[in-house]
Amino acid sequence: MTETAEPTTTQQENPLLEGLQIRRVPDPCALVIFGASGDLTRRKLFPALYSLALRRLLPEHFAVVGVARSEESDHGFRDRMKHAVQEFGRDDFNEGTWDWLAAGMRYVATDFANDEGQDRLASVLTELDEQRGTAGNRVYYLAVPPDAIATLIRELGERRSTEGWTRIIVEKPFGRDLASAKALNEEIQKNFDESEIFRIDHYLGKETVQNLLALRFANGIFEPIWNRQFVDHVQITVAESIGIEGRAGFYEQAGAIRDVFQNHLLQLVALTAMEPPADYAADSVRNEKVKVLRSLHTPGPNHVVRGQYGPGYIEGQEVPGYREEPGVAPDSMTETYVAAKLFVDNWRWADTPFYVRAGKRLARRETTIAIEFKRAPHPPFDIQDDSLQPNVLVCHIQPDEGVSLEFAAKVPGQGMALRTVHMDFLYGGTFRQGIPEAYERLLLDCLLGDARMFTRADEVEEQWSLVDAIVAFWQRDRPSFPNYQAGTWGPAAANELLRRDGRSWRRH
Amino acid sequence: MATALGSISEIDRELARLRVDPDTGEPYQRTSVMTHIAWVPNEWVEAAEDVLAGLADRHPSRTIVLVPDCDRGDELEAAVEVESFPSGQGRQVAVETIRLRLCGDRAAAPASVVEPLLLPDLPVFLRWRGVPPFGEGPFEQLVDVVDRLIVDSNEWPGLPGPYAQLAEIFGRVVVSDIAWARTSRWRPQLASLWPGIADVKTIEVEGTEAQANLLAGWLRSRLGRHEIELQHTPSDRLVGVKVDGEPAPFPPGDPPDPADLLSDELDRFTRDRVYEDAARAA
Repeated sequence: MTETAEPTTTQQENPLLEGLQIRRVPDPCALVIFGASGDLTRRKLFPALYSLALRRLLPEHFAVVGVARSEESDHGFRDRMKHAVQEFGRDDFNEGTWDWLAAGMRYVATDFANDEGQDRLASVLTELDEQRGTAGNRVYYLAVPPDAIATLIRELGERRSTEGWTRIIVEKPFGRDLASAKALNEEIQKNFDESEIFRIDHYLGKETVQNLLALRFANGIFEPIWNRQFVDHVQITVAESIGIEGRAGFYEQAGAIRDVFQNHLLQLVALTAMEPPADYAADSVRNEKVKVLRSLHTPGPNHVVRGQYGPGYIEGQEVPGYREEPGVAPDSMTETYVAAKLFVDNWRWADTPFYVRAGKRLARRETTIAIEFKRAPHPPFDIQDDSLQPNVLVCHIQPDEGVSLEFAAKVPGQGMALRTVHMDFLYGGTFRQGIPEAYERLLLDCLLGDARMFTRADEVEEQWSLVDAIVAFWQRDRPSFPNYQAGTWGPAAANELLRRDGRSWRRH
Repeated sequence: MATALGSISEIDRELARLRVDPDTGEPYQRTSVMTHIAWVPNEWVEAAEDVLAGLADRHPSRTIVLVPDCDRGDELEAAVEVESFPSGQGRQVAVETIRLRLCGDRAAAPASVVEPLLLPDLPVFLRWRGVPPFGEGPFEQLVDVVDRLIVDSNEWPGLPGPYAQLAEIFGRVVVSDIAWARTSRWRPQLASLWPGIADVKTIEVEGTEAQANLLAGWLRSRLGRHEIELQHTPSDRLVGVKVDGEPAPFPPGDPPDPADLLSDELDRFTRDRVYEDAARAA
């Protein structure tokens, strides 16, 4: 997050600035977290804020206000967040850093739509402007249930201050279909400019997701073969081994298609398939992603598979089926797995399938993008078995972040026996400094006003447009759930999806 | 894990042997990002080892420590160490250190010893402890095989004289100076005094001689005013700067440790012309 000083007018006047490594520091501001009693605040947001504070990346004049329905004092809030940082932070705990952060922390207990509560929040913020010098600048983080977002946006719009700037971070899912996403965008646009809205998809904050852009556009060797001429197909997997972790209320409404497919998975498709942007500006990158999303289609209902896990075993431990999870209806038809064959209808990717899948309670936690290249057209070797595999470039998004290339090598000895070998680049092996958490990167980007790694309104609408088309297929049938055992790689129909194309999912 | 070795081929064989995990028989992964050569006369060995210990985990590399020992007979005495660090997927990443004592005439031809040990296609950094013997064989040879020379002019007596000799090699190799890096927290503070600082007559520096000379050289070269006077109060670290008697604001944060400073220099690849100008004007 440092950059060499640009030759600006100021620098032309001040020759001492030349060559200095100047760290971009955000403007003074107050961060208001709606949903401060939730898991996201505890597990992700405060550990991220603490890591930023430890690295002196937060502005000197900074404050955080937690807002939630539950009653809690400022002291209680500070204490709870301190424990959260100690439990979930990636850095050693430093009392001095925490004291600095805690000194600017306040808590307001209120219902989001309560006028009196909003008045109290406004007065706390004014107080912080005076005490902490936050200058009227506000970041509102909406870590609240989807149905509360529109109300909050309206409240914030009606009360927006004329002093300083305002930015709003909206957690996923943004809407639950195209119509609701459009309605929410319209609500937002009544009071806020698109440049003030930061729709967060934490996958975009992952170093390895950003490394995909580096891999594609900073290397000369990949882009010439990154197309239908050389690529046989692409496989994208977002697999989780965990279940719904007590979030039945949310998950019963969302399912895998709204929880992961609509956002994380389609973002990975877009980054994999997009054209090189003209530059690294927010709109240049997002314009290219939107073009991909607009070009996506699935050929029909037979090319989409949904599943729901039954009881099974994860790491040797017996786990219940989805319908046995607390809070889930015993006859629930919510999908916990979705796989699809997608096509990107453009010059680069015409007729090249993108097989994508996302699911819960799968055999292991793994997010990968695998580019499988076409086979060598005519290997001159006398190969009897299936030892000559196609080349595969795999981007390991998580865990074991890195990139690996599979290619054939001669087995030492007489004759010409071949074996597929892996050439691996492991992030943790090469770059020994800790990888920043996605929320650190995204919070800091928002404080700096950089929207590059956030989702734009038209991106979200294109994502929902595809999801709506898939969900429309699902109205016509009622699958027999559960159809896969926890701890496996999903329903048999997902294997069939590729088998009928003469392909198979990658082995893990 | 160290074994005494007497030739490059023995070093290669030993490295190959040590790259395999003795418990599993599986090879460690090699993900080197550079070859790092350290020229360490005997009196610097202890200090150099301390810094290297802090570096290995941050910059997976092949480190070649060269210790000249001209008083002994003509031979090469090497010890090889492969240290492994966990890197996910249950794998271990190997970091290689080759310690070479160049005895007798071998100390006069270090490049011929180092060249066969360089990792192909990766940048080569040379950390030279003490004042480089400008114009002499071993130093000149090594400068010609590396991409970047890292010195610490805090280790140099007789400043500012050696800066003029250093400036003569700026066109041949990219140079980093850890003494300069130690002034990096202070330079933005001084820059923040613009425009008042444009007319500075005297700069008073409480720090090392190198830091004082480099800060004065920086102001002279950037402001184009070679008459700026330096007053130096010796201290083992940079603790204060005054501009015409007025103290500059103290920089925030803690000063970095030696391993951090070297680690930062190993992340840089381009020529630092602001430093070059400062050294010339020191």
